[in-house]
Amino acid sequence: MPTEARTPALVFQAKPSLPPPPFTVGPVAWVRANLFSGPVNTLLTLASAWGLYLTLAAFLEWAWFDAVFEANSRRECLDKSPTGACWAGVRANWGRLIYGPYPLAERWRIDFAFLALVAWMAPLWIRAVTGKIAIAASVVCAYPFFAGYIFLGGSREETMTVLFPAAVLAGVGVLVHSACCILAGRSLPDLLLQPFGDGISDKSRTRILAGFAAASYALAFVATSGFALPQVKTDRWGGLFLTLVISGIGITSALPSGILLALGRRSTMPLIRLLCVCYIELIRSVPLITILFMAKTMFPLFMPQHIVVDELVRAIVAVCLFAAAYMAEIVRGGLQALPKGQYEAAAAVGLNYWQTTLFIVMPQALKAMIPNIVSNFIGLFKDTTLVAIIGLKDLMLQVDSAGKDRDWLGLFREPYFAATAIYFFFCYCMSKYSLHLERKLSAGNRR
Amino acid sequence: MPPISLGVDARQGRAAQWLYDSRFRSIVAQALVVGIVAWGFWYLASNTQENMARRGLSTGFDFVFGTAGFDISWTLIQIRTPAPYIDVYKVGIVNTLAVSILSIVFATVLGFAVGMLRLSNNWLVSRLAGWYIEVLRNTPLLLQIFFWFIGVFTGLPPPRQSYQPVEGFVLNNRGFFMPAPVAGETLWITGVAFLAACIAAVALHRWARARQAATGNRFPSILAGFGIVIGATGLAFVTTGMPLSWDIPKLRGFNFTGGMTVPPAFCALLIALSVYTSCFIAEMVRAGIQSVSHGQTEASFALGLKPSWTTRLVIVPQAMRAIIPPLISSYLNVTKNSSLAVAIGYPDLVAVWMQTSLNQSGRAIEIVATTMLFYMTCSLSISLLLNVYNRRMQLRER
Repeated sequence: MPTEARTPALVFQAKPSLPPPPFTVGPVAWVRANLFSGPVNTLLTLASAWGLYLTLAAFLEWAWFDAVFEANSRRECLDKSPTGACWAGVRANWGRLIYGPYPLAERWRIDFAFLALVAWMAPLWIRAVTGKIAIAASVVCAYPFFAGYIFLGGSREETMTVLFPAAVLAGVGVLVHSACCILAGRSLPDLLLQPFGDGISDKSRTRILAGFAAASYALAFVATSGFALPQVKTDRWGGLFLTLVISGIGITSALPSGILLALGRRSTMPLIRLLCVCYIELIRSVPLITILFMAKTMFPLFMPQHIVVDELVRAIVAVCLFAAAYMAEIVRGGLQALPKGQYEAAAAVGLNYWQTTLFIVMPQALKAMIPNIVSNFIGLFKDTTLVAIIGLKDLMLQVDSAGKDRDWLGLFREPYFAATAIYFFFCYCMSKYSLHLERKLSAGNRR
Repeated sequence: MPPISLGVDARQGRAAQWLYDSRFRSIVAQALVVGIVAWGFWYLASNTQENMARRGLSTGFDFVFGTAGFDISWTLIQIRTPAPYIDVYKVGIVNTLAVSILSIVFATVLGFAVGMLRLSNNWLVSRLAGWYIEVLRNTPLLLQIFFWFIGVFTGLPPPRQSYQPVEGFVLNNRGFFMPAPVAGETLWITGVAFLAACIAAVALHRWARARQAATGNRFPSILAGFGIVIGATGLAFVTTGMPLSWDIPKLRGFNFTGGMTVPPAFCALLIALSVYTSCFIAEMVRAGIQSVSHGQTEASFALGLKPSWTTRLVIVPQAMRAIIPPLISSYLNVTKNSSLAVAIGYPDLVAVWMQTSLNQSGRAIEIVATTMLFYMTCSLSISLLLNVYNRRMQLRER
């Protein structure tokens, strides 16, 4: 210490650094580098800014400044402002776009089933909740029966009598379980087993839980037996609701069937491989609309006389068959990208075919293929508009029927705009979520 | 010490041997699957036979020579009147191919342009290109087709107030009219000259490449080739007395007559398909160019190649390897997507054959099968093309 204090003059003292030359940092420099870096770039910037200004100005004038938001008919809209958009028409027809011709008094059922789905799936995104695979499985296996009855109503047939209470029970179970996990920090089975003490064997645990399940199923059966809703036939389904039903079923069925087809295509058994290749290539080489037409015209020929298949079911079957083939090719891409060492390591550890597939191959292949899978989902969601061509009243066709309404005769542009915005919203959200998922799951590969 | 047990005693061994033999299991599994599929086919076929017998329907392709009782609104080829079904099939195929091929050309040009703009250093331009891609990619094609058809082409003014930017090119709500070339008697000489010039240009290009490989001397063969083709064709055309005249559409009564006419549905479908496909192609171009590693650019600069040469000789050839395979399969998608024509009444294969002819003749099986046959032929020929390309372009790795 004292030596340093004695020779202060020898210590190097850096001068404070000078400020950067003017306009090399900050917004001005950014504008220079990115917009006006040369004559060509300057010209491009000015031209596109001018074009953007013209488009935006015209659009805003139509959609906002000259638009009519309150009116009772198209005539009134045109009287108020002949050049602006008539958003009043979209507001009046909003219910038609979302629910289609579904009876007005029953529309709450769609909202209810949708909210139930949100509540059912929300635990998947909550960190504290355990048993996420079981919850996801219950969504895929039980929710369709729950929603199916809520949408369709009417008297329950044999299978529905058994399955509807089970689906309700599964939903309630998921909710109670998630509440237990969040509030008490323990899963539902743990809490149920608590009164029996710690020292019970696995076998008796299973028995006790099965007993609880049976008792609550009986309770659910009795509780729902008096529950009945008026019937709404599928020809009254429509709008965004129908679009979501068709694409939802298509998307949910595409993944498992696509995985099976892809595994079949890579199988060592020649006959199975041949069948899978033929199916995939046949479906992929023809447009969806031909498959839909085929479902419409040939399905009745294929089925025995006493079986009458609903038009909606036919379209859904066609969409599922179509989606499976495309998904199979994507999964196959993921399987092929997997290094061979993974298979060899799994075999060396002594795993059999299904263990290797389930625990080693599929998780990696699906993770690598997430962007493609999601873009396939987006494609399928967009492709469901084609059911409008065979006469199902989906969102596309509701736009048309809004313009044929007596009060809103000829109003096409604004409903079209609204439908475009709805489709864009769904697809854009899906693509952004896939980007987020990709980044999250690739954390292991990042250096 | 007891003898070491192998886990399987002799009695269980025989049964277990069969059960754990992978060859035996694979045979059983295949037999099971094939059996189920065969049973499914048999079930569907027997139902179909029964249903058709009950409805009094017959099968067979004899109906294709029968008269189709409807008119086709727009045809590119001459057909007999009244048209037999086989001509309807031909018209459908030609119309589908016409709109697909034109859309492919436009979509490729537009897609490459937008992809380049997306990669531009200019922030505003690249953002605008990004939004163009984002909006078009995330809305259904059918919606876009309706937008162009209802929002643009059927909303155009009637013939008397039509747009006519240049004499002979007319746009109104009846469609797009343009001059039709009328060939003179000696036009074939120009055609022959054009073909000969093309062959000569290709030969010149080959010779120039061989010489450059051997001696290193460069020869501007592309420029010379264009010169030969244009010069020879023009010379032949002028010396034979310009045997080509134009049939210009003129307003007579309530509509234009003469020249070539394209209906609004065709225009709407063409533009919708081109624009929709262009955003996918733009993404392929961007991804392809970005997939060329930065080291390639640096190495080429280190060798002293100037930026324009680096782009042309280093980046583009490598990017093309990544761009072309998805590009070709997007061409197949255009062909398949053109079937949406049925929604706006453009007479493509699905509209005239799978819809109108099927409703008229009731021959569901034959018509569905022939429609699928056409699309499968397209698909198979495109995959063949792709395989040939992949084999030629595959990197020879050590």
